[in-house]
Amino acid sequence: MALLLLLAAGTVAAAQDRDSTAAADSLLLELEREMAAQATTPAQQVARAAPSTNPDISVIGDGRAWYVSEGQRNVDAEFHEAEFAFRSAVDPYARADVFVAVGHHDGAFEFELEEAYLTTLSLPYQLQLRAGKFRSTIGKINRIHPHALPFIDTPAVYANFFGEEGLNDQGLSLSWLVPNRAFFQELTLEVTRGPAEGESFAFDEGNRLLYTGHLKNFWDLSDDATLEVGLSGLAGPNPAGATTLMGGLDLTYRWKPVRFNTYHSLTLQAEAFLSDRDAGDGGRVRAFGLYALANYQLARRWFLVGRFDHADLPDDAAWNEHAASLTLGWYLTEYQKIELGARTAWRDGTDPVFQALVRLVFVIGTHGAHEY
Amino acid sequence: MQAFYRIFFVIILLLAAAPAQAQPKLNVVASLPDLASIAALIGGDRVEAFAIASGYQNPHFVDPKPSYITRLARADVFVTTGLDLEIGWVPPLLQSARNGKILKGGPGYVDASAGVPLLQVPASASREQGDIHIYGNPHYWLDPARGKIIAQNVYDALVRAQPAGQAYFAANLKRFNETLDQKMAQWEAKMRPYRGTRIIAYHNEWPYFEERFGLNIVDFLEPKPGIPPTPSQLAKVIRLMQQQAIKVIITSPYFKTDSADLVARKVNGQVVTLATSVGAFPEIKTYFDLFDFNVNALAKALQATTP
Repeated sequence: MALLLLLAAGTVAAAQDRDSTAAADSLLLELEREMAAQATTPAQQVARAAPSTNPDISVIGDGRAWYVSEGQRNVDAEFHEAEFAFRSAVDPYARADVFVAVGHHDGAFEFELEEAYLTTLSLPYQLQLRAGKFRSTIGKINRIHPHALPFIDTPAVYANFFGEEGLNDQGLSLSWLVPNRAFFQELTLEVTRGPAEGESFAFDEGNRLLYTGHLKNFWDLSDDATLEVGLSGLAGPNPAGATTLMGGLDLTYRWKPVRFNTYHSLTLQAEAFLSDRDAGDGGRVRAFGLYALANYQLARRWFLVGRFDHADLPDDAAWNEHAASLTLGWYLTEYQKIELGARTAWRDGTDPVFQALVRLVFVIGTHGAHEY
Repeated sequence: MQAFYRIFFVIILLLAAAPAQAQPKLNVVASLPDLASIAALIGGDRVEAFAIASGYQNPHFVDPKPSYITRLARADVFVTTGLDLEIGWVPPLLQSARNGKILKGGPGYVDASAGVPLLQVPASASREQGDIHIYGNPHYWLDPARGKIIAQNVYDALVRAQPAGQAYFAANLKRFNETLDQKMAQWEAKMRPYRGTRIIAYHNEWPYFEERFGLNIVDFLEPKPGIPPTPSQLAKVIRLMQQQAIKVIITSPYFKTDSADLVARKVNGQVVTLATSVGAFPEIKTYFDLFDFNVNALAKALQATTP
């Protein structure tokens, strides 16, 4: 009955606005439009007054197919990972973020707690404390989940020094927004138990822990351009029972015109890590790795990324791995992208290995945050 | 001696006035320049208002640059459009700001949409429909009458943050509302001849403006909100414009006009870039200028294309 009344009211309102010279089909169009608008009106109160204490939930899918020029099986495909994200404020003092991944490993799907942490919201002195399992705050891309990166393959320096998934450990993170009015500065110090496996750092049977620090500096060069310079330092136990020290530098220049910011942009980014690993037997290995990339947005939906990698192994400074890769990303909407990648990797004295990849990433559920 | 008394009196007066002067300015950070402009008009010289987005920027796609975090860390009041318009960039900024005052539920957090009657509230929400907003169309500041509700929300927060300024803020709010009423009469008079005129828009961000000034937006260049124009949609729009003798396409400063220009050429019409926010064009310095500009630009185009 209420709906009928509303419809009747709608018809009257429409009649008042109607142009008497309108053609029959445009009248129909207008009528349909009015009816659609009227039909949604009653939902107004319901939608705004239906709060929920459920966390924001989203599911991110990452499927891949590839060709690789070495090995016995050259063509393959996998559903790489489905990530379930749950995020919400816990109370006025903290928020929680939980990411559970179901990933493909050697033919089977395995559950993995990717991240789960509590973050304080209003500690004094511009401090923020995070506790739980989280991606370590080092470098520029370590904090970013792989599906959100503009390329498919992990840069060699990350893969070799920290593993394919980057450095991800359990412990405490304290970050301080440095009260610097001239530019943004954030200092993050973390203590974690030591990752379960890894060549650079590993869990120690004794009392030794992994310590990391990162200083992020950020400048607005103009409305359209920004510069970020980050310094990282790491110290922790390695699998040889000794200590690895590491230093890192990350540089990001971004040009993105404020006015037409959805059409063209350019990111130039480079990261370098220097590792000094005590082999435990009196020997030390100094390994180095870096990547540099350019990401140009060709058009509203198209991104082209070119990247160069160089990396040693943390326990073999003579490894000298190189790679060059190109990724073309087609971003249909904010919720779906398809990427085509080509990568060639080589080492001194070996044949290059060529790889071609396709990746599809989709997001359903709550709108995630934009990366910057 | 009399001169001495006069000077003494002036000094006493200055001292009495000093506490008001010494009162530190309230730091107001707003997501959009329109909200910052309203905050500046209500707060007067007692606030320092800063807008994160620029007036010519697409408010859906603002980058959460860390430099905004330093602003938010020392903000007393934060004004947001709400309705998930800024979902991609406001939450990450607030979470990093380490400022409990401006978190949702804090005394300095202002959802400017509180109490605003909304349009286009979907009965169901599915992204099949494109970039839809589950709470309703979030571009409500483009109706000056709804601007009064925004002003009231901002006023409430300013009084919470600085109770001593209540009378001052109230006087400014009153002046704001009076100016708006006055201007509204002018704007409506200017648009009256074009009531019911059919127009096309690039993106679905004008329903409040449309409703206020009695326009009739019949279709969009975007096939669905947030999806760039496709040839089939443009063909559909051209046919519609030819059939119904529609001559004007309105677009926003942050969209390239090639597709709109193309359609306009085909139907011998006009493309008008309207301002979506304060600061979109250099002459738009306040919330009032926004409507002065839009009403003038649109009336001019409608007049030129009305036979």
